[in-house]
Amino acid sequence: MKNIKHIMVILILLLFYSCNKSKNENENTLLYWSSNNMHEIEFTRHFVDKWNDEGTSKIRFQPIPEGQSSEEVILASVVGKTTPDIYANMWQGSVTMYANAGVLIPLDTLEGFTEFIKERCSQETIEEITADDGHIYQVPWKINPIMTIYNKRLNNDFGFSELPNTYNAYLKAGEAIKKDKNNDGYVDQWVGYTEVKVLWYQRFFNFYPLYLAASNGGHLIKDNKAAFNNEHAIGVFRFLQELYNKEYYSKERLSAGQDRFITEDIFTKWTGPWEINHVDKFKQRDDFEFGFFPMQVPEDHEGPIYTYADPKNIVIFNTCVQPQEAWNFIKTLIDKEGDKQLLEITGQLPNRKNIETEEIFQDYLNKNPKVKIFAKQANYVKGVDNCEVIVEVFDIISQEYEACVIYNKKTPEKAIEDAAKAVDNLLRD
Amino acid sequence: MKRKWLPYILVSPYILHFIVFVAFPVLFSLVLTFHKWNIISPMEYTGFSNYTKMFNDRMFWKSLVNTFKFLIIHIPLQIIISLALAEFLNQNIKLKGFFRAAFFLPVIVSGVVVTILWQQLFGYDSGLFNRMLVAIGLGKVGWLIDPNIAMGSIALMATWKNVGLYVILFLVGLQTVPPHYYEAASIEGASHWQKFRKITLPMINPTIFMVVILSTIGGFSLFIEPYIMTGGGPLSSTMSSVLYVYKQAFEYFHMGYSVTLGFFFAMLILAVVVIQKKYIERGED
Repeated sequence: MKNIKHIMVILILLLFYSCNKSKNENENTLLYWSSNNMHEIEFTRHFVDKWNDEGTSKIRFQPIPEGQSSEEVILASVVGKTTPDIYANMWQGSVTMYANAGVLIPLDTLEGFTEFIKERCSQETIEEITADDGHIYQVPWKINPIMTIYNKRLNNDFGFSELPNTYNAYLKAGEAIKKDKNNDGYVDQWVGYTEVKVLWYQRFFNFYPLYLAASNGGHLIKDNKAAFNNEHAIGVFRFLQELYNKEYYSKERLSAGQDRFITEDIFTKWTGPWEINHVDKFKQRDDFEFGFFPMQVPEDHEGPIYTYADPKNIVIFNTCVQPQEAWNFIKTLIDKEGDKQLLEITGQLPNRKNIETEEIFQDYLNKNPKVKIFAKQANYVKGVDNCEVIVEVFDIISQEYEACVIYNKKTPEKAIEDAAKAVDNLLRD
Repeated sequence: MKRKWLPYILVSPYILHFIVFVAFPVLFSLVLTFHKWNIISPMEYTGFSNYTKMFNDRMFWKSLVNTFKFLIIHIPLQIIISLALAEFLNQNIKLKGFFRAAFFLPVIVSGVVVTILWQQLFGYDSGLFNRMLVAIGLGKVGWLIDPNIAMGSIALMATWKNVGLYVILFLVGLQTVPPHYYEAASIEGASHWQKFRKITLPMINPTIFMVVILSTIGGFSLFIEPYIMTGGGPLSSTMSSVLYVYKQAFEYFHMGYSVTLGFFFAMLILAVVVIQKKYIERGED
């Protein structure tokens, strides 16, 4: 009996010791969550190993835990107060909500942050990520600009000497390509396809980049009001509506089955640079050639052609006990060498100014001419406006998009007006 | 002393479970209906504004109408098909066990798997149904892209998925009908249809009612099918009430408003159960 008591005391002491040790270890260890993309894991591991060999603190790295979406996992971790110290891959639109809730570290309060960011990013990007309270809560990290991918048969088989980069040219291409290949009385070849499902984020791949292109990077929300009730948004709705009305686009969810770009049932698509590897990997004939060009614009468009950047950023949560140390680590990921590694390992573009002309990236870009097109586009990209209810804003636009563009139930003017009114009501609440 | 506490100790796991997973969430939700809360910021008391918003929310009423549309299509279809199949299985046929298993199989298959499979079948250009229609010279149907048809398509799929369960229930009901009723009717010269209408239907009336109630409750919780197949579209024609509650909670983080809607649906289901209870009591009298 006496022995049992001794053993119990020793076990309890051991337990206390291990808890204390683990607490001390945790204070010196920063937890870093990356996305669970294979290439990003490789990229992160490279930098974490290097830091752990040389740094005073340690980084414990893990891909974000599995969940329906990374946004859902992050939300659960915020609610459960189990957030990592650093999270890389935060969608820009989520940052405002977390910043307003006070769960993010204002990075501009950290030593060296402001100077570093000014050196790395354009003034436009810095303005875009600055919150309404004047602080910066996110490190602009990487972008995947949305552009038009096209099958080069467009030039060779259909005789287009120029790429369809205006609304009219694209509609003409639609007319030329539309075909009933199996003679069943139904069109089964289209100029392009974009997701018809009324999900808010699907507008990042059709309406929103087209709107940014037409409006030279205009706002959806400005001064807490809808700023899209204008001829640019109406023009985009009209252009897309015509594509569906004339059956140049299919209303069916083509994305549910095979990739119709690869099967050559569609000849263009609005997508990001990730499509390069995908098409190269799955193309069905070796001589399948494709390229990229900017989003379509109205005929009278002047100036550069903007698009949606699909930016993913890095944040430090307020559960981090060493935010300065966390920033010091992040700096290694996003300095020129870090950005070069990001490009080479993941094929994704860093959110850095002059990437197209910076010497350090030239070798990679020259070897990957398709990525170079995106690097050129990177000079004219935008994320989303800082707005806590940006998801609802896109959802409202999606509802009107469906009613007007897909089902022709409203005129573009009425649909945009209704969307703007609904957004104004939402922002007033 | 030991004996006095023993029953409490034995029921304590359930009591604990009840408090943590039922009582607390329900009470917390009730409190939440008077607040605005996005999960990560502090709650803000808003009085009855969530209730006012609910009564003025057009999409909420549309989702309710959609749910009733689903029930109106789904329940009769389910009863007719499952009763017909049960009647078929109640005959002296070969491979009875095989058919029973075959009809029940969709019930045990994951709802997500079934939904994805049917999404392919319903495809406009490449779906099997439309290919068959075109092959026999008919036109294509916009199963999931026509706002007037989409909810019907979902009801059709849900019926296929659940019919096996109700076949079993009807089969049990049919087997409780005393055979001598049919024998007496046969001697009197009654036709099959007359026997079915005058004997079978009245005798299995409680089963029919149970199926109606179970289908209604199941119908109110319509979620997976529109969530995966249509996202509530086209033109919000498949936006079910539960899908709308989900969107409010997990897309917009309007927790207070979503639980207000949740409470309203709970009251609706409660009303249905009360009607059921009264009907059964009247039947017993």
